[in-house]
Amino acid sequence: MSVYLDHHAATPLAPEVVEAMTEARAAAWANPSSAHAAGRAARRWIEEARARVASAIGARPADVVFTSGGTEACNLGVLGIAARRVLTTSVEHPAVAEAIAEAIASRGVEVVTVDVPRGVAPARLPLDGVDLVCVQWVNHETGARLPVERWVAECRDAGVPVFVDACQALGKLEIDVTALGASAVAFAASKIGGPLGAGALWIARDTAVASRALGGAQERGRRAGSPDPVALAGFGVAASHLGRRLAAMPAVAARRDRLEAALLEHGEVNGEGPRVGTVTNVAVRGWNGARLVAALDVEGVMTSHGAACSSGVDAPSAVVQAMYPDEAERAESALRLSLGPSTTDDDLDAAIDAIERVVSRRRT
Amino acid sequence: MSGGERVLVAMSGGVDSSVAAALLKEAGHDLVGVTLHLWDASGGHAVGRCCAPEDREDARRTCDHLGIPHYVLDERRAFRERVVDPFVAGYLAGTTPSPCVHCNQEVKLGRLLEIARDLGATRVATGHYARITRDASNAIRLHRGHDREKDQSYFLYGVPLDVLDRCMFPLGELRKGQTREEGRRLGVPNWDKKDSQELCFVPDGDVGGFIERETGVARTGEVVDASGEVLGHHDGVYRFTVGQRRGLGIGGGAPPRYVLKILPDEDRVVVGDVEDLAALTAHAQHAVWTGASPAEPFEAEVQVRYRHRAAPARVTPTPEGFAIAFHEPARAIAPGQAAVVYRGDQVIGGGLLAV
Repeated sequence: MSVYLDHHAATPLAPEVVEAMTEARAAAWANPSSAHAAGRAARRWIEEARARVASAIGARPADVVFTSGGTEACNLGVLGIAARRVLTTSVEHPAVAEAIAEAIASRGVEVVTVDVPRGVAPARLPLDGVDLVCVQWVNHETGARLPVERWVAECRDAGVPVFVDACQALGKLEIDVTALGASAVAFAASKIGGPLGAGALWIARDTAVASRALGGAQERGRRAGSPDPVALAGFGVAASHLGRRLAAMPAVAARRDRLEAALLEHGEVNGEGPRVGTVTNVAVRGWNGARLVAALDVEGVMTSHGAACSSGVDAPSAVVQAMYPDEAERAESALRLSLGPSTTDDDLDAAIDAIERVVSRRRT
Repeated sequence: MSGGERVLVAMSGGVDSSVAAALLKEAGHDLVGVTLHLWDASGGHAVGRCCAPEDREDARRTCDHLGIPHYVLDERRAFRERVVDPFVAGYLAGTTPSPCVHCNQEVKLGRLLEIARDLGATRVATGHYARITRDASNAIRLHRGHDREKDQSYFLYGVPLDVLDRCMFPLGELRKGQTREEGRRLGVPNWDKKDSQELCFVPDGDVGGFIERETGVARTGEVVDASGEVLGHHDGVYRFTVGQRRGLGIGGGAPPRYVLKILPDEDRVVVGDVEDLAALTAHAQHAVWTGASPAEPFEAEVQVRYRHRAAPARVTPTPEGFAIAFHEPARAIAPGQAAVVYRGDQVIGGGLLAV
């Protein structure tokens, strides 16, 4: 038995996505920049994907820059837009937080950090002297939904450019980047049934973004390096099924609520503001989150503690720590269960069983 | 004992634990690999030590090879509180602490057993060179590993019997060479990896430098002989251990001198001749016995440091621990080190040498 409850880390590939990638693998192996038939064939897959992604987010294809994933898209959005004083939140993904730290270290950028106590973000931003705002739309660990529409409107009134990390928002919220009016918005294929290794940065036409990678004028000079037609083919197909994913969200949220209700016996939910329906983050009493993740994995239930990270070392959830600065045990005992449209009621029953079984080991 | 029962195998990333895991896997056990993250590697000496990222990757690679799950769990706080801080305090107090004894006793095995319970495992396996046996009355006994060069029973004397009862040491009957051979036979990825020689958290072996970095203090003082005559100067009493000959800063043609005593309050190191180093008696505190606590004096062999051949002695229980009366003078009895009492290959008990 195996139950996958880590959809915020990566989503299983939709069958159509696998099919498209298999086809692309055979057909689109050439360098898409090459001036010959094979190169054109590869390029056609990429441009098809670009059109699909653009259509899914309400953008023009020319404004979509493909990247190697959400992290690179966030890095490009944060570091590609010139700024002297950046405003951000205390709960950003490391792809944004560490890019800002880099700007502080190497460019002397100043930073203003807005707290999100208990998962509740302030309605307005302190924009005094700020010339770039970098904020996420949906939190990766708790699912907190930040008031990005309102913030972007406020920034537009003040003439301040805004980068939005929408990696966790895509497929969970209706997104129309043109209507939103931000300067740049980052997306990741792996959160919507697409593969790892594919992401995008939408860039408003009036926003200048300097390429971070060096060595080529690909993506209209905004991202050097040949894009991967296979991964992007998968991204495109996943994006074209975004409506189906969004339509499933109410059912996903109902399952999340059922799962969460079963967990409340063992702990408290982290985050009390508005949030999306795909995730619950629970501080499990008396447990260390990393150990609980290991114990559940042995039982066949795949979950996470903090943000997925390749170092192999668990660290207490930075987001929960930032939301509850005075309650260290919340971050240490955080368990993140994230669901997707493919999560079934049987999955939940099995997961709840396994959680009961594991948690009861400490009662005996 | 194969199948069914889930076993947690502790993976350091070294050859020994990797081969231990491979042997248990071959025997059909349901294994879960766990690496304890005990200390953050820093500086340029990150390879071949406990807790370096490379070691975690080696542990993960071995588990992937064996097809078993692998988790890295953070026990840095416990390691600092129970091993590193007392280690630093011990050196500052002029003793020579035994961090591996404290780690095995207070962090590793006990903590692993607790993790095992959480993970639904009933036993903990490690790559220690030691043997766990049962006597006629089914009581647990700890014995030396068959490879006397690698034997680690000295570091394990303080592990409670109820913990040992749930431990497995698959390498206890192997020699190091055999372990590598088994590793090669079983395709263990790191079977030819170099052994680590130093303390895992002081990989360059510079204990003095480590203590100065940890505490931010640097002390200096005098090297004196028994009569108090100043023979030289040293840069920190924590750089010395009783019996040490090198690094005293009193070279020349004089006969070799050895550290006899460390006087931390005066920042003095007392040195003398090799004959002065020998002692017939010693005291140990914090005694732990593997059976009932002895009431009467008894004959046994006592080992006073890891690389010491256990010497015949009369052991007399005292309220604080036990007194040791060696039959032949023993050299370099350093306070803080463990005195482990053996009868043949069997560990009877142990304690920490007192000042």
